[in-house]
Amino acid sequence: MEDVWKRFRIPHEKRSTVLDHLAGALSVLEGKRYAYEEFWALKQVSFKLGEGESLGIIGPNGSGKSTLLKLIAGVMKPNAGTIRTEGGIAPVLELGIGFHGDLTVKENALIYGVLMGLHRSEMRKRTATILDFAGLTRFQDAKLKTLSSGMQVRLAFSIAIETEAEIFLVDEALAVGDMEFQQKCLDKFREFKKEKKTIVLVSHNMELIREFCEKTLYLLNGEVRAFGDSETTATRYIERT
Amino acid sequence: MRNYFDILTILAEKDFKVRYRNSVLGFLWSLLNPLAYMAILTLVFSYLLRVSIPNFAGWLLVALLVWRFFSVGTAQGLFSIVSNPSLVSKVYVPRYMIVLSNNLANFLGSSLEFLVLLPLLLGLGVGLTVTALLLPILLVLEFLLVFALSLSLSALNVKYRDFYQLWDIALQLGFFLSPIVYSASLIPARFYFLYSLNPVTRLMEALRGIFLEHQLPTVFDMTVVLGSIILFLALGLLIFRRLEKGFAEEL
Repeated sequence: MEDVWKRFRIPHEKRSTVLDHLAGALSVLEGKRYAYEEFWALKQVSFKLGEGESLGIIGPNGSGKSTLLKLIAGVMKPNAGTIRTEGGIAPVLELGIGFHGDLTVKENALIYGVLMGLHRSEMRKRTATILDFAGLTRFQDAKLKTLSSGMQVRLAFSIAIETEAEIFLVDEALAVGDMEFQQKCLDKFREFKKEKKTIVLVSHNMELIREFCEKTLYLLNGEVRAFGDSETTATRYIERT
Repeated sequence: MRNYFDILTILAEKDFKVRYRNSVLGFLWSLLNPLAYMAILTLVFSYLLRVSIPNFAGWLLVALLVWRFFSVGTAQGLFSIVSNPSLVSKVYVPRYMIVLSNNLANFLGSSLEFLVLLPLLLGLGVGLTVTALLLPILLVLEFLLVFALSLSLSALNVKYRDFYQLWDIALQLGFFLSPIVYSASLIPARFYFLYSLNPVTRLMEALRGIFLEHQLPTVFDMTVVLGSIILFLALGLLIFRRLEKGFAEEL
């Protein structure tokens, strides 16, 4: 990732309809200006990871961690700078991946496996493994909306794990599953580390970061405060707070 | 190379299932709408207003199905991005695929409507000939037209959240600007050329041609339809490309 900038606009009055824009155009004629503030969520962020290295991202709320993950996932585009990734990406962003509540658990698993890059035939073979890992085999024909939010996150995680991506983007989602499931995921992550896969972990849990990530990026107000080996970076973050 | 084909079909399948609530009964309900419309309009125009078009019910049914394919297709295509925020901001899928898969689901539904309801024409005393075999080609053309328009509509509806209101009015207008309940021959000569440039009108006339008059679509029909598809596709790609960068932030 090289010199990446991401800007958001915070309008003082949100204009999101045709009517608003017409009204807005009139007020410009009257001499008022369209008012919005610019907010740079990420400023000049650069870093490089080697093959098989994992990255921890730390920093207070609102410092740009999730935005950074979304840029890596390709969901958002940066205003400037370049991002290069090699290998398939499996994102588990912001608590779950947004399932369709009216379809069954199994149907949702199939859809999201395909969206994460697996072929449909491949996915059919793996559905049983996924549901088993998530502990949801009993509920496979239930409508997804009847599941608790913890169960939905478990499903999202289990699908991502089965996709054979090389890069996993995990946004604090791990905190939601129960203890037993968390343990299972950590075991899986240890396996991934052995297989030289990359995990990008946004977390406030420094122990996790220290265990899994060789490098850590400390963000504050959208700027890189520190980047380097996890031990030193995590210590700097803890000292500041 | 990603699994784009699988992504497209699985999303279309999802839309189709959700639309018909995963049941045959759901599909049957969707047939009731054009049937009821045909019955009511036939009653009003044929018996009360005494419009003298031979086989009015069958004549009406063909145009109604064409109209339904177009209006339902674009209206749902318009919402395809806004109603799937998670496909935009939680995973990366090429965004035009969200629109295309929605249109594909509608294409499948409308084609089934044609297949189930066209035998009714026989019951209404229309004899079908080989020209009826052109139906698939005309349906594919209508699907392309719906997709071309849905690209701009879906993107504009993300930026302007009340855009669907405008399209709704446009559709109401379109219903009466197409020869559904009246014959195109009623249009005054000086407006006729402009009037006949409507691609939906051309599709209606072409389909009435192959079913009721056993005639091939005219060169004019095909030129207008293909020309509009190319025009709207170019416009749609232009608008979609420009606006899709902002989708994840606006949703």
